[in-house]
Amino acid sequence: MTVQKDSLTSKPETVYVERYFPRFTLGQRWEHGILILSVFILLITGLPQKYPDTLWGQWIISSPERLNQIQQIHHVFALLLFALAVYHFGRIFVQIIRKQLPGGMLPEWQDVRDAWQMIKFLLFLTRNKPNFGKYNFEQKFTYWMIFFGVGIMILSGLILWFPIQVTKIFPGGVIPAAFLAHSNEAIALAVFIVIWHFFHVHLQRLNLSIFTGRINEDDLRKYHENEFERLRALNSQDSNTGGGNP
Amino acid sequence: MFNRLLPNLRCIRAFGLIGSGLFVIAITIFILTQQTSRVSADYTFQETEAYCLGCHSNPDLKMTLPNGEEISLFISTDMLAESVHSPAGIECEACHTEIKTYPHPEIEFQTRREMSRSYYLACQKCHSANYKNAQDSMHARAAEAGNLDAPICTDCHGAHDVTIPDKPRSHVSSTCSTCHQEIYNEYKVSIHGGALIQEDNPDVPVCTDCHGVHNIQDPRTAQFRISSPDLCASCHANQELMAKYGLTADVYNLYNLSWHGVDLSVYKARWPNTWHYSAVCTDCHGVHDILSTQDPNSSVNPDNLLATCQKCHPDAGPNWTGAWVGHNRIDPQRTPFLYYTEVFYSSFSPFVLWMSLIYVILQIFHAIVGRIRRSLQ
Repeated sequence: MTVQKDSLTSKPETVYVERYFPRFTLGQRWEHGILILSVFILLITGLPQKYPDTLWGQWIISSPERLNQIQQIHHVFALLLFALAVYHFGRIFVQIIRKQLPGGMLPEWQDVRDAWQMIKFLLFLTRNKPNFGKYNFEQKFTYWMIFFGVGIMILSGLILWFPIQVTKIFPGGVIPAAFLAHSNEAIALAVFIVIWHFFHVHLQRLNLSIFTGRINEDDLRKYHENEFERLRALNSQDSNTGGGNP
Repeated sequence: MFNRLLPNLRCIRAFGLIGSGLFVIAITIFILTQQTSRVSADYTFQETEAYCLGCHSNPDLKMTLPNGEEISLFISTDMLAESVHSPAGIECEACHTEIKTYPHPEIEFQTRREMSRSYYLACQKCHSANYKNAQDSMHARAAEAGNLDAPICTDCHGAHDVTIPDKPRSHVSSTCSTCHQEIYNEYKVSIHGGALIQEDNPDVPVCTDCHGVHNIQDPRTAQFRISSPDLCASCHANQELMAKYGLTADVYNLYNLSWHGVDLSVYKARWPNTWHYSAVCTDCHGVHDILSTQDPNSSVNPDNLLATCQKCHPDAGPNWTGAWVGHNRIDPQRTPFLYYTEVFYSSFSPFVLWMSLIYVILQIFHAIVGRIRRSLQ
């Protein structure tokens, strides 16, 4: 499970071995990239429609034709996001069937205890910072907020896109509800990503593991100690059976 | 001889007194009449009426124009007495400025219409603002385009029989009906027209309330359409007025929050001259034929609503009308989906965001404190 970046040199005491641990698969990295792209485009084509009176809104929607174009772009990227969601669900489904679901993202009682401990730590009520697994509760919270947020956006967006067909089955009242939800959830989700996700991955520390797919030993040890211990145990098992480096 | 003449002398003296008295009176009358006629020369509107009526009170007085049209020249004194001008001292010559005396100058008009279109120019002498407004109207443009039947002042207000135009108010709409008969027939059975004609209701709109008075514009333009909800709102957003009839005054504000209203507002703010199809009030309620929503014939009566929606949404099914909540406040019974969505986004969603923000602020605060501590050590 370990990766050795630099080859060993002749002087062992000056060797600096930076060890990296794989964190995200190539597929997950692509998923995140497509999510960023589609959400970004959906926001810049959606927000001017919500705020047509603002200067920036008017700058983007400069003519009726442009409004039409922007709605079409919004639909194209909505389809991309929808496809991404279908892929994500499909993969989870396949993993469940094969009993290979990693499960690291699933919420546990431990997350609530961690959060409580973390709040006490932040309020200087304790000096002990909780130790986290592969995904800490902050990261799980990010995932599930975006999971449900994007779910609401896709569902309400589809209702607004095909209102006639939707009301053949569902009551008419879902249309204005979808309108309200689409409009509000977009803002809620955008605000959440900015204050929560951007803070944790850009300001608190620059965490690019979703792009590189790996995490270095120091960070893993510092922020995901339980995962580090688990991997070390796993690794020593491996070395006991005769594979890998100590 | 002298004695014989005495009685004669006395007689002469007496005659002289009477004569000179009469002379003084005559001179006085002469001077007075001279002064009066001098006044009438300086001011256009004076007592020309009595003079003119000397001939024009004859019911048989008429003339024939070069195109063969026969015009009655009879002016009824009763009609003049009921008009606004004559009792106020504004008489014949005020408008017929070229006619000073008899015989009149030669008339050059070929047709009766040509004559009307020439005489009505006199209105601007006193009513210049209204005259100018009328020149910037749909009617004036129709005339410029060659339709000489397009109305001029006198067609609506009358000529010798000008009265106050809105006494009673229904007079306004019946005046318009002279030409716009078909629309008037729709209007008179509508909720507005019915109340006007049957009850002389002071609140319902007459034609001019929506279309303007003198500068009437084309109501078929994109601009008129896009601002028409504001027109309806000038009464229907008035709490006091609507309460009088048991109507809600929220309809306009709530419409502006609806899909139609939001969509329209973009065009209204940016491209008021671009035709946009998003529904305005009149698309659903009708224009001149607006009925009470309770009326079984109303286009927005629940029984007819789907058919009205289908004008724009032809494939809409029966559930579709439930999507329209544009005139109702959010309510758990009436619009449960919207109500619970609203509750979610006004309580749970902000709660989660505030908690997230507070947590992040605590993290920032903790990091700053940690740094300060390390730097002090």
